[in-house]
Amino acid sequence: MIRNGASKSLESNPSDDICPVCKSNRYLTPSLQFLINPECYHKMCSTCVDRIFTSGPASCPVRYCGKTLRKKGFHKAFFGDLKVERECDIRKRVGAVYNKRQDEFETLLDWNNYLENVEGLVFDLVEGGKEDKMRAEEKLRAYKERNLGEIEANKRAGLEEIEMEKRRERAEKEAARQRRLAAVREAEEEKMDVEKSRREVLEKLASGEGDAREITEMAQKVVLKKSGARRIASEAILQSNGSAKDPNLTIRGLKKREAPVAEKPYEPFGGVDLAPSRYVLQEDYDSEWLANAKKDQRHAAGGFSLHEYYARTMFEAFSGLGVFIEDEMGSKALPAVPSSIGTEAAAEASTGKIKVEHKMELDDVF
Amino acid sequence: MKFNIDDLPVLFPYPRIYPEQYAYMCDLKKTLDAGGHSVLEMPSGTGKTISLLSLIVAYQMYYPEKRKLIYCSRTMSEIEKALAELKALMKYRSDELGYVEDFRGMGLTSRKNLCLHPSVKREKSGTVVDARCRSLTAGFVKEKKDRGEDVQVCIYHDNLDLLEPHNLIPTGVWTFDGIMKYGEQHKQCPYFTARRMMSFCNVIIYSYHYLLDPKIAERVSKELSKDCIVVFDEAHNIDNVCIESLSTDITEDSLRRATRGAQNLETKISEMKESDSEKLQNEYAKLVEGLRDQDEAREEDAFMSNPALPDDLLKEAVPGNIRRAEHFVAFLKRFIEYLKTRMKVRQVISETPPSFLAHLKEYTFIEKKPLRFCAERLTSLVRTLELTNVEDYQPLQEVATFATLVATYEKGFLLILEPYESDTAEVPNPVLHFTCLDAAIAIKPVFDRFSSVIITSGTISPLEMYPKMLNFTTVVQESYPMTLARRSFLPMIVTRGSDQVHISSGFQVRNEPSVVRNYGHLLTELSKVTPDGMVVFFPSYLYMESIISMWQGMGILDEVWKYKLILVETPDAQETSLALETYRTACCNGRGAILLCVARGKVSEGIDFDHQYGRTVLCIGVPFQYTESRILKARLEFLRETYRIRENDFLSFDAMRHAAQCLGRVLRGKDDYGIMVLADRRFLKKRNQLPKWINQAILESEVNLSTDMAVGTAKKFLRGMAQPFKASDQEGISTWSLKDLEAHKEKADEEIIRALREAQENPEGKEQIGDGMQVDPDDFGIDEDDEAAMMEIDA
Ligand code: SF4
Ligand SMILES: [Zn+2]
Ligand SMILES: [Zn+2]
Repeated sequence: MIRNGASKSLESNPSDDICPVCKSNRYLTPSLQFLINPECYHKMCSTCVDRIFTSGPASCPVRYCGKTLRKKGFHKAFFGDLKVERECDIRKRVGAVYNKRQDEFETLLDWNNYLENVEGLVFDLVEGGKEDKMRAEEKLRAYKERNLGEIEANKRAGLEEIEMEKRRERAEKEAARQRRLAAVREAEEEKMDVEKSRREVLEKLASGEGDAREITEMAQKVVLKKSGARRIASEAILQSNGSAKDPNLTIRGLKKREAPVAEKPYEPFGGVDLAPSRYVLQEDYDSEWLANAKKDQRHAAGGFSLHEYYARTMFEAFSGLGVFIEDEMGSKALPAVPSSIGTEAAAEASTGKIKVEHKMELDDVF
Repeated sequence: MKFNIDDLPVLFPYPRIYPEQYAYMCDLKKTLDAGGHSVLEMPSGTGKTISLLSLIVAYQMYYPEKRKLIYCSRTMSEIEKALAELKALMKYRSDELGYVEDFRGMGLTSRKNLCLHPSVKREKSGTVVDARCRSLTAGFVKEKKDRGEDVQVCIYHDNLDLLEPHNLIPTGVWTFDGIMKYGEQHKQCPYFTARRMMSFCNVIIYSYHYLLDPKIAERVSKELSKDCIVVFDEAHNIDNVCIESLSTDITEDSLRRATRGAQNLETKISEMKESDSEKLQNEYAKLVEGLRDQDEAREEDAFMSNPALPDDLLKEAVPGNIRRAEHFVAFLKRFIEYLKTRMKVRQVISETPPSFLAHLKEYTFIEKKPLRFCAERLTSLVRTLELTNVEDYQPLQEVATFATLVATYEKGFLLILEPYESDTAEVPNPVLHFTCLDAAIAIKPVFDRFSSVIITSGTISPLEMYPKMLNFTTVVQESYPMTLARRSFLPMIVTRGSDQVHISSGFQVRNEPSVVRNYGHLLTELSKVTPDGMVVFFPSYLYMESIISMWQGMGILDEVWKYKLILVETPDAQETSLALETYRTACCNGRGAILLCVARGKVSEGIDFDHQYGRTVLCIGVPFQYTESRILKARLEFLRETYRIRENDFLSFDAMRHAAQCLGRVLRGKDDYGIMVLADRRFLKKRNQLPKWINQAILESEVNLSTDMAVGTAKKFLRGMAQPFKASDQEGISTWSLKDLEAHKEKADEEIIRALREAQENPEGKEQIGDGMQVDPDDFGIDEDDEAAMMEIDA
């Protein structure tokens, strides 16, 4: 106990309660509030901040500091330990730049190495000497310049993820609330039921029809059945809820969307390559009845191009070669099953409910 | 006595057997054959342990698989009792069979109970013994010694290394006393002998924690194979054990000490960097590779181990940003600092792990993944640094465990920050409760891993609650009635005082003088008629105090004082044990005594009041939990959401299991007798939730008594008990000789044949009709105010 007390008084050490600048303390000014400026992390009370910095930027009143601070920069510290506060601010800065995501890496090892590097950088910034700091800052700047686009993209992805998470949480909360309401309602109904049937029994008893014991027994049974049925029903609801909500909530597992592929130019032949494969079109063919056309300018005046002529002639000469009708007929007889249907069927088979009609349809295609 | 169950020959070390024991064994065998789990309720005092042991040992010896038995009990004394019974059983078996079987049975308990080291064993606290032992036996200490450095070691431990590792101790059953003596003679440590021999034992007997507490379980129990038979005895509270094993409380003080631990680590790291940076480098290299050190896994005494982590995670490499020792320590410091900041909030906060993590990430940039590795990373670091005074790092370890758990489980846990101890407190004393709401989480690995898990107790009603709460399915679920040759216990429900005013500990009426006076009157009257000892249970300390002071004012205690000595249980364990001792002395001499205690206290759980130590037990009020507790509220909510257990059902179940525990305290055998009085009108509706064997013994004429009627009945009952009663009167009814057993079997066989024949004759006719609903005649006509009163605070 004694040790406990001692450590407690140690913990609430005076520096927590006295402003290092104006020395006013918490006992006299209970509203004392400390602020810090992330330029130098020296803390001072809000009155001091008002007093010193209201009229514009001034230098930090803490001895040997002298950094120029602005009032705008002051805020309350989140952490009790200002070193950690500073570290987290640095992390924020670094994290905004080095924001790669695990799925950008090939292997886990690469990702881990990356993490370690970043951590090392942060460490240099937090604890390193002047030189380390400079170097680290330089690194950070260089990286930022080099990867501006990526950083932006990752930032957006990160925000999206957070948004998604928040939405999920909200949805869950709402669902829980609904369930709670339902439970309350259910309890209420049950109470009403009991009340009602009790009244009925009393009425029946009062009217004096039938055997008293029989009436009470009957009533008991009815109530029990009702409550049992209700319970079963609500259980069913719960189950359906459970299965229904799951797919919605696991959106997180989706693969990260890929940047859209730049649109390619339009291709009229849909990718069919018309380059001749069985011959090579020459620049020039020796033929004497074409000699005239070669020499005489007038032939070309109307747009006639010998080259086009060569191409067409050769194409016609070779067209039809290498086409085997029997083969093509044969391969056509086997219907080319689209692969997606195959997986579907496999999936169905694995669940054990193969639909026969479906198969029949496939056969009927031809 | 020797008999067969189906084809299995069972040796039972007594000449007579109770019918319920036989039924119990049959169901046990069914469970084992089917390879599933079961919940069995066996009346207290009917030889549950010996039936269990003799059947399972017979099973082990008869079938070639030799399935190992892991028998878990709650208290040290229960474990010792079980070991003694096992020893007797094995002796009987070898006498009967004519040879000694190759069999090893052993118990395990903490170092504190087993240590032989002359100075270590004198330490008072268990954690200190553990820590000191670790500093003498850790792997690196031995290495240092081998290198010729001058370090202290424990000779008892090192001697073990000279022995064959699978034969540290001869076969047979070893009680704690036995193993201590053996250890003393052979200068070997009993604790480590038991630990290391665990995988070579046929029967292991230890406490729940070795299996349920994930921090211990991984170390102690992971080598046990899948086909082990696991038994949880006295398991009526198993859900609470599960929950406690995963919950932690974090206070400002523990955070302070964790910070200190982290600072120490920091200095240690920089020291090591200067002196022996190679070690750190090695650790680093290992972590990069993502290899879990093999011998590290085997090391029997790691500083701590991972709480219930999924296996796939364990195989993954440690995340890069906590790979380096100094990075990791900074990480921990940041996390602790964050927690400290959270503790400054002056209003109650309750949040789920995901929302906690989101907030954490926003402010400290700590991601979920490294957090999950926290516990493991810390273990590795502590080992690398070769720290000996590990107990200094306990708070840090708690924080790391918390970090791992909070990052691992999204569901089933809740963080509750309570800035003030009570609603009226002025000085803040914030506690961050990280509470597990789902008992199924801790016990899941057990159900997953072992094919047969048997949950049994004297009072484990209603049976279907347990599979629901712990999320498992049973193959057998049974509650046995108690066969008695004469009515040897008298349960009564007293609802009114002699003046016909209802008595109840319900919130609105509990302090009304008429109610208190009626309770006092009941106490006085019962103390007049009861011979020897009498035990009285109150729902809570608070209520007990207030009612005692009121009784004092009314002169009731003075009246009682004439008949009995009055002793009181207090929250202080030492005071209570002194009171107990005095109570026992008083019961053995003269007029006897009254012990006033609390239904959820120590007395109600572990202490038996057999024979003259308890002739009457009086339960004043229904022992409901304190429903204003935030943790309980959260758990109730969770149970409803997840397992469809309604608040009222759970509270009432929980109250009744404690009441049943209290009642069960006085009846510890068939030759025992006692009166059980439930004094509260609300018991009238809850009697169906009592264990079958108690409920069946309540006669219809004794459920709604007034004080004077109850006293009259008690007098008559006691007069009956005073009649001579020979053991032979029980013969064939409540105890069976071999002949009776045979006859019973024959009859049962005939019964089966007849049923089969009947089924053949009219195949449709035997369909069970029934909608599967439990019919509870008292459900009808629920008294509104009564139910409302029931839910009130029971502080
Ligand atoms: S090894 Fe055994 S005897 Fe030695 S200190 Fe540890 S527990 Fe005690
Ligand atoms: Zn100031
Ligand atoms: Zn400054």
